[in-house]
Amino acid sequence: MKDIVITGMGVVAPPGIGTADFWHHIQEGRSFVSPITRFDSSLYPSRIAGQVNGLESYKNGFSARLLKKLDLFSHMALVTSDLTLKDAKIDLRNFNLHRTGIFMGNTLGGWLFAETELRDLYLEGREGVSPYMASAWFPAAPQGQISIFYGIKGYSKTVVADRAGSLMAIAYGARTLERGKLDLVLAGGTEAPVTPYALLCCNTYDFLSRKNDTPENAYAPFDKNRDGLVVAEGAGILTLERLNDAQRRNAPLYARICSFYTNCDGYDRVAFEPDGTCLAVAIEEALKEAGFEKDGIDYICADGAATASGDISETRAIKKVFGRRAKEIPVSAPKSMFGNMLGAQGSVDVITTVLSMMYGTICPTINYKNPDPECDLDYVPNKAQNKDIKRALVISRGRGGINAVMALERFSNGHMTKKAFGGGTLCQLSKA
Amino acid sequence: MSVEQGIREIIIETLSVQPEEIKMDEKLSDSLGVDSTEMVNVILSLEKKFSIHLDDKQITKFSSLRDIIILIESKRTTA
Repeated sequence: MKDIVITGMGVVAPPGIGTADFWHHIQEGRSFVSPITRFDSSLYPSRIAGQVNGLESYKNGFSARLLKKLDLFSHMALVTSDLTLKDAKIDLRNFNLHRTGIFMGNTLGGWLFAETELRDLYLEGREGVSPYMASAWFPAAPQGQISIFYGIKGYSKTVVADRAGSLMAIAYGARTLERGKLDLVLAGGTEAPVTPYALLCCNTYDFLSRKNDTPENAYAPFDKNRDGLVVAEGAGILTLERLNDAQRRNAPLYARICSFYTNCDGYDRVAFEPDGTCLAVAIEEALKEAGFEKDGIDYICADGAATASGDISETRAIKKVFGRRAKEIPVSAPKSMFGNMLGAQGSVDVITTVLSMMYGTICPTINYKNPDPECDLDYVPNKAQNKDIKRALVISRGRGGINAVMALERFSNGHMTKKAFGGGTLCQLSKA
Repeated sequence: MSVEQGIREIIIETLSVQPEEIKMDEKLSDSLGVDSTEMVNVILSLEKKFSIHLDDKQITKFSSLRDIIILIESKRTTA
């Protein structure tokens, strides 16, 4: 991919709303996972999650009349879009809205809204169901709501690919820009899995941690005593532009998206292919398209499924590609601090990686206490590390054996300065 | 409570609008920007409140408050 740049970033996540708040908290290396309070989850095997606080205080034109028609996942997507556009210093009146597109990843749809309506369907009959259900529940609803709110009319798509959805959405958005079909792309993902039915489905699939008594220690990727991931709600969205367009409007230039590759294990419904062969192919192809030397990779943001199948196969794939040098590359899963946002996680991982490039700081994999002989890379355990990162990979994987890899390159030659990044949301923070 | 007052309350509650935004002789789509799903919600609430059945072609987003008052009063008279 040539000259596609990230010019704006927005995030709504358990550690914070907006990149400044988010970054401030995730470098601390502490957990934002807690017992579920939204509903009685006492009979669920896993009843802990990363939950977003303070969303309702972000108004900015989102009226009560609008919000009553939306599920939480669309609400988070709207707030995140707004944060992203502000961060990118974009006034959409200056853009051709027919050449502006939206690419969103999502896995589950809007169950918080749908569940109460389904209950009413069975209790009260068809007339008990809100007409807003029609546009609230389905995975493409956030794309639709963003397009309606901002009047965006260009080529757009929603991608459902389990935990790889938003990384794919960003990639498809970038490729559409590259082909010249659009001038501006909003790309990312949103997910709201903390609902009775959605959480039940995740529990049934048996990939969730059951360390309910110690939620802060529950999500432990690459640790020998891991027992699964913890779900989280949240959204992450980027603005993407062609470099010359972004330079013309003096936009913030965060990072280049250099390549993307995706493939399938073709192995099992639940487990990943044990040797990580297909993931290794995806990494090799992403490196090849980006034109990156293997020696040039400074950081890998891992999928970090926290299952034996996921962690071991991901580790083997990295070792297959990088050989002896694999142990020298920091590989971390910052999501261990706040949970896995499923269809939104890839976009949040991209944001975390870009922030790490800008601040020269790698966020850690927390809860790493017991080394697993099968997982023997540098997982940046428990504490952030200072490191100059110019080139990085982001890995997202989904159930059914989906592998997705994106290569990113820091745009500037040095770490972020306030002047270079134009005073966006993030620039209110000084370097940690 | 008058029919008019009852209808006004439903519109205010269902659409989260201010009382002064409701105009007697303007189409709901013009005065309040009502869309079709919102109109279904208004109709369902009117049916419950006044214990009547409304055909969804009798009241639409192009109806005014006066149109709705006349229709509901006629339904209640004939019931």
